[in-house]
This record gives sequence, structure tokens and C-alpha cells, in this order.
Amino acid sequence: MLNKGVAAALAASAILGGCVQTRQYADLQFTPPSGDYKLLVLRPDVTVGSLTTGGMVEPRADWTDQARASIIAALKAQQAERGGNVTIIERRSQLPRVPEQEVADVERLNLAVDQSIVDAKYLGDYLPTKRRTGLDWTLGQDAVRLGQKTGYDYALFLHAEDEVASGGRIALSVIGLAGCFIGFCAPSSGQQQLDYASLVDLHTGEVVWFNVVTAGSQVAGIKFGDLRTPEGAAQMVDRLLGRMKPGKAVREQQKQQAGEKR
Amino acid sequence: MCGRCPNFTDNSLTRRSLLAGGAMGAAALHTGVAEARVRPEDMVPLVGPGFKPTDTDEKGLWKEMDRVEEEVAGSNLLITDPKITGYLKSLIATVGGPAAQDFRIYLARIPDFNAMMFPTGFAVVFSGLLLRMRNEAQLAGVIAHEAGHFLRRHMIRSWRDERRKTDIFSVAAMAAGLGGAAAGAYLGDYVQLAELGTILSLFKYSREMEAEADAMGIKNMAAAGYAPMEMSDIWQQLIGEEDASARYRGKHRHKGGIFDTHPSEGSRMVDLKADAIELTVPGRKYEDYRERYLATIGPIRPMLLDDQVKLNDPGASQYVIETLAEEGWNGLLRFYEGEVWRLRNRPGDDIRADQSYAAAVAYPDAPAEAWRWHGISLMKQGRTGEAKGAFARYLQMKPDAPDAAWVRQMATS
Amino acid sequence: MRRITLLAAALSLSACSSLGGGDYGFSEYSLVRAGQVSVGDGSMAVITPRPWNRHRPIFFEDIRQVEDWTQNGPLLDGMSFVTGLKNGKSLIRQRHSASQQVPLFRSNMTPPEIAAMIESLYRVRGGAVDFRTLSLEPHPFLGTSGFQLDYEHLDDDELWRRGRAVGAVIDGRLYMIVLDAAKSHYFDAALPDFEAVDASARLKA
Repeated sequence: MLNKGVAAALAASAILGGCVQTRQYADLQFTPPSGDYKLLVLRPDVTVGSLTTGGMVEPRADWTDQARASIIAALKAQQAERGGNVTIIERRSQLPRVPEQEVADVERLNLAVDQSIVDAKYLGDYLPTKRRTGLDWTLGQDAVRLGQKTGYDYALFLHAEDEVASGGRIALSVIGLAGCFIGFCAPSSGQQQLDYASLVDLHTGEVVWFNVVTAGSQVAGIKFGDLRTPEGAAQMVDRLLGRMKPGKAVREQQKQQAGEKR
Repeated sequence: MCGRCPNFTDNSLTRRSLLAGGAMGAAALHTGVAEARVRPEDMVPLVGPGFKPTDTDEKGLWKEMDRVEEEVAGSNLLITDPKITGYLKSLIATVGGPAAQDFRIYLARIPDFNAMMFPTGFAVVFSGLLLRMRNEAQLAGVIAHEAGHFLRRHMIRSWRDERRKTDIFSVAAMAAGLGGAAAGAYLGDYVQLAELGTILSLFKYSREMEAEADAMGIKNMAAAGYAPMEMSDIWQQLIGEEDASARYRGKHRHKGGIFDTHPSEGSRMVDLKADAIELTVPGRKYEDYRERYLATIGPIRPMLLDDQVKLNDPGASQYVIETLAEEGWNGLLRFYEGEVWRLRNRPGDDIRADQSYAAAVAYPDAPAEAWRWHGISLMKQGRTGEAKGAFARYLQMKPDAPDAAWVRQMATS
Repeated sequence: MRRITLLAAALSLSACSSLGGGDYGFSEYSLVRAGQVSVGDGSMAVITPRPWNRHRPIFFEDIRQVEDWTQNGPLLDGMSFVTGLKNGKSLIRQRHSASQQVPLFRSNMTPPEIAAMIESLYRVRGGAVDFRTLSLEPHPFLGTSGFQLDYEHLDDDELWRRGRAVGAVIDGRLYMIVLDAAKSHYFDAALPDFEAVDASARLKA
């Protein structure tokens, strides 16, 4: 789960226009998983709330449940297309053979790694040593051990949040943005959707793929795909995971091969 | 040098300032002002055993809180010694009213004088509270007060009040605004234990609610046989500490502090005294269970003192140590007195610290570290022979000390 | 937070601005190439076996005598150099009015006192909720008898970090090299570089 400070900054950037942006980074040698693979999705962080007139987010258990169910269904369908087996763990205690503390440790390290990736790749604190390396971060042996104990090939850390405006919110959408300039961000668009995913190869512990999707409309009332619906969830999953591009080295290789075939 | 140290221009984002910021108007023991005294006999629990919400908004809140509880339960910051956690569980079972068996209670290693109850019935007690409570009755009183918030459904009531009133803020922004913006940073990630104060700032308890929790708490406390006057005494101690801390800094108050005005704590103290008198049944024996409390907390007291002193808040630390010393000085307390001076690090403090360490080692319970610091001060005074003796004593007490290699070199050079 | 305001300001003009600058443009970090380099206030030279990222000092925020490097980002790892910190100075900028102070360095500090100063830095400013000294032993540094401190700390992001500091007080001034990194993977990954840098460190004449 990414630091919401960073999440807010990204959401703020999306509010400024009606657009969907996605920018993904991958290991140079990354090939999107296909064939027979086992994917573990750890405690997908899904929340959906209602934005009241007052601007408060009223957490809606029913909507969250709906969205979570839709996302999980979409994930399973999407991964099935690629041939993979997906298991989604809701609570730390649900991984057999792995103590909760170990799951917690991996999650916390992942959070620090995700934050570092966002800082370096998305927020401009780029690290010169990582230029031209694609995506060069790892979770190390802890993740490898997790893979060995559980038999999964990949782990996906997923965060999705959505707020649906109830009536009368339109006038307030721009005010929130002003707060961002003094370091107090209250992003409040009509509907905002901030989703990101990081894919870890459990054989190596490396973060092999990372993507952020921000979707927001400037004016409340224009919907970008409601996470509660199967279509909206499928759209989010598709944007986040469906267009996984291979890493740079692989793409170049593919181009070469395509060139040779002519 | 330190990856998580904020920049100079970010107002010192210490954990303590987070808690203080979050506790501003928060679900802490000490906010709000009781106006007309709420009478304990009027306080009836609004929930029964096994309560679960039926309203949509409350269900949503509980769902979010379940996630928070999972984070809390899995936190590295918890003290999990079963003797102590078992003790706390038995206390909340005693004073928890109808929900006694439904509560969960966690002890977090945070040196702040605070305890908080979450909407779903889990409570978090901070280790700083254990350092300051004089006896079991006081601790039970605090727990009963927090349980009172749950029994009177304060969280959902205040959430609904905020819904009606608030202008601009969303959940995460509110949390940030109250705790974070004040500290110059965005604190949207509310599920980390060290930042719990901020999430509770969302549940601003009105003065009336604090009065209700006081009344409900003291009622349950007295019913369980604890001396009700102890609950009023807690306030006295808290006021004293805040004064000492503020006086030390030459300021009148914490910036964004927990207290709004002095009279408010005073009036709660007065009201609780009146409650206590009302509730005391003549002829009934009331207990404070001091011995049992000290026996349970005793083993972790050095750790609690260490955490407090290492906050580098000399005013508050001195007050705490002096209060504990009212029952008699010992090696442990003199040692930590020395630590306070050493960490304050102002001109002349090294001499004060030396004196405290020298006093500490005269007691049989002086910790090994007292001998080491005593040795270092002797060394600096040129009293090399005595210094080596002190170092030898340190090594004798702690042959596997982390710095044994360095001390051995000093002792033999 | 500075980062957020910079981003918001930079992106405020475009309708659909791109997500961040990728790997180019102005960054808080500059490249340190493998080989010999002067660090801190320039009085110490080290040889680094690999390239690192050097945090650009910000005039009114950073101490001239302290220089910070990172490999993967400051949340994951950091190697810092303290060069010639004088008596009465602090490792980090702080306001006199701040209620919790990091102790100042004093020339007559013994290694346990320097270790305590480092501990205070992490607790008071870094938000560490637990700090454990693992070992403190004599260690030759910059051609003199110095110390090596090993420690670990639990921070408020629930992550354990591990650290090693080597240092000495020379002519009343503090010189140190500190490695601080996530205990899981990152500390061990950076340790060989740290050891090489430590072994190569020398004072420039």
C-alpha cells in the first residue's frame, strides 16, 4: 500500500485534466507472464467510498465489497486468459506454511520499495545510477523464501481506490487542489481512481514490473469506469495489468526478430 | 545521514509531534471540557454483548477499522509479553461493562501518555501510560474511560456529527490536515501504528462525550471495586507533567497541544472527585491493587524509562522520574536522572549527569550502564584508577555487553 | 511536503501532464562515478568500487560537513560521510526551540557518547521507536584508533534498518562513515562497498 502522500500527489496531477494516464516500468529482461504460472495477490487494497456533499468520504462496505468482488473476478479472468493460476489472499493469516509476521515483513519492505520506485521514476527524484536500467529494485531473499514456501511464481501487490460522488459535489472539486500547494492535499474530484501494481518475481525477488494508473475527471459526474461494476473493474485491471509490455531488451529482441523474418 | 529524517524545513516530524498533532482534539483521555457534570448513575451502556452494526455507514466504518486492527495486531511496535497483555485483558474484562468479552486490547511501545478506543472495540494502550500510572485502579480507570466511549457509541455519533458539519475534507485529508499539515507533511497512510493519533483525530469527541466517558468509566470502575478517587488523581499527575514540560520549554503550551485551557482539566478533576464521592458506598472496601500492579509492570519499567528519557524531552522526563522517586530513590531512578541530563547536553549538564551516575552506583540496583557512564566521567576527570574500577564492574555485570570490546580496551589501557 | 508542492506546481499548466520525468531532467541526485572522490567538506577522500547517487546539498537545510549517498533511495539504503564536524555542532540542522534536541558533538566525546548521539538522531528526528546497539569496538580509521558501531533500529514505517558507523575524533573534530539500510537485503548488499570505502578513506593533506 503506497504512502497516500505520494498517491495524493499523483491524483492531484490527474485532476488537472480529464485523462487517464498510465506509465509502466519493467526490468529490461521482463516478459509478461504467460503459460502455466502461479500468481499470488497479497491483500489487495481496495476501498470504495461515497463522497458526500461535505467532502467527506463515507466508507461504504457494500460498495467496497462489490468493487473487491469485481476486481477479483476481473483479475482471475484476465490472468486465466494468460494461462495463469491466481490466488488472492485477503488476510495475512491465509497463507499456509507462512507465519503472519513473515507476510507482514514482506509487505512492509515492498511498501518501502514501491515508495522508492515512485519517488525515483514518477516524482522526479531520479537516481542517475538507475538510468537505462528499466526497473532495478528487489525485495531480496525474503520474497524468494516466500515463493519457496508457497510455490508461487509471482506476487502482485495491488492497490485500488475509488470515490464516487454523490449529489452536489461539483462545485467543490477545484477547491481541494489549492491545498496541495501548501503541502496539504485534499484532492477532491468528481471521481478519482488511483491504482498501482507491482509485480515481483518470486524466483529472484526482483520487482519486475510496476505500473501506476491515475484516472480522474475534472468535473464531477463524468465517470471513468466504476470499480463496483464488472466492466469498470475489468477496465481497471486491463489498464493496470492487461497492457503489460515486455522489458526494453526483450522488445528490442522482438523487433530484431521481426525484422529478420522479412 | 538518516533516510527517514525529514528536512530542516519540514517541521520536526517526530513521532511525538505526530501523536500530539493527532491527539489534538482526539479520542484521548484528556480532551474536551466537561461542563454540566454528567452523573454516573445516568450513564447506561448503549450496546450489549456481541454488538455488531446494522446501519450502512457504521458497517462501512467497521470494515475500514478491521483493516486498521489487522495492522495494529501485526505491528512491530507491540509489546507482546503475555504476562502484561494478559493483565490488560483481565482489566478490560473487569471494567468493560456488557462488552467486556468483546474488547481486544493491544499494548504499543510508544512512550506517550495515551490510550485510545477504536469504533470496533479494540483499544490501544501506549506504554507511556504504564510508566505513569501509580496503581491498578488508575490503569483500570483509564481503560474504563476508553471502554465508556465504546459503550456510549461515541465514535459513530461523532462521525455522523462531522458529516453534517465538515466543509472540505475527505478522510485522508482530514487525517493529514489535523496531524500532518500542522507538522508540514501529508499523513494519509493512517494504518501505521506510530501514526494512530491522526486517525483518531477524525473522531473528535465533544466535551459532552468526554464527560460521558468519564462518568461511564468511573461508574464501572467503582462497581468493580476500584477506589474511584484514583481516577481524579490521574488528572493531577497529567497536569503536573504538562506544566513541567511547558515550563521547561519556556512556553505556555505544546504547539497544537493536547490541552486547550487549564481550567478544563481542573474541572474534569473536580467533576471526577464529585463522582467518586457519589459512587462510594459507605462501608465498602475499595482497592487500588498497587502491589499487584508494580509486580506486573516492574520487569518492563527500565524499558519504559529508557524510551521516555530517549525522547529528549527533559521537562517531562524529569517530572516523571521525580514523581516515581516520591516513593524513594533507587539506582534505576538516579541512573535515568543522569540520562536526562546527559541527553539534555546543555552547559553544566555533564557535571549534573556525573553526580547522578555517582549517586546511582551507590545503590545495589544500579544498572550496569550506570557503571559505564560513571567510569567515563571519572576518566574525563582524570581519575583513571577509579575509572578502570568502574569499567571492570560494568564488564563483570555485563560481560557480553555490545560495547564490551571498547570498554575492555579502556579498562586495560 | 516539498516534493508534492514541486510536482503540483510543475504540472499545473498542462491539461494532461505526464506522470513524472522518468530518468532525465533535474533531480536531487547527482552521479558519483566509481573511483576516487572527495566527500563532505572536501577534507576526506574515498575510493568507491561502484557508482552511487549523491544527494545534492540544499544550502539552508544540510550541514556542509555531512554528505549523503544512496543506491536505491533513502528509504532503502544510505551511505553518509561526516567530515570535520566541530565541537558544539550538530549532525543535522535543528531549531533551538524544538522541544526535542539531537545532542551536539563535543570534542571530548568517547565512542559510547558518539553512539548515543547517533541513537538520538534516529529516535528524535528519524522516528525510530526502537534502537539497539549491537556492538561497539575499536577500529582503525583514517590512520588513527577509532571505533566501529553496529546498530539496528525499528522505524515508524514498521521496517527494521541496520547500520554501521566507523569513525574517529581527530584534532577535536568528528570524522565518520555511516551505512544505514533496510535490514532485509539492502544492508548486506551495500556492505562490500562500505568496507571498501572505509578501507580507502584518508584525510587529504
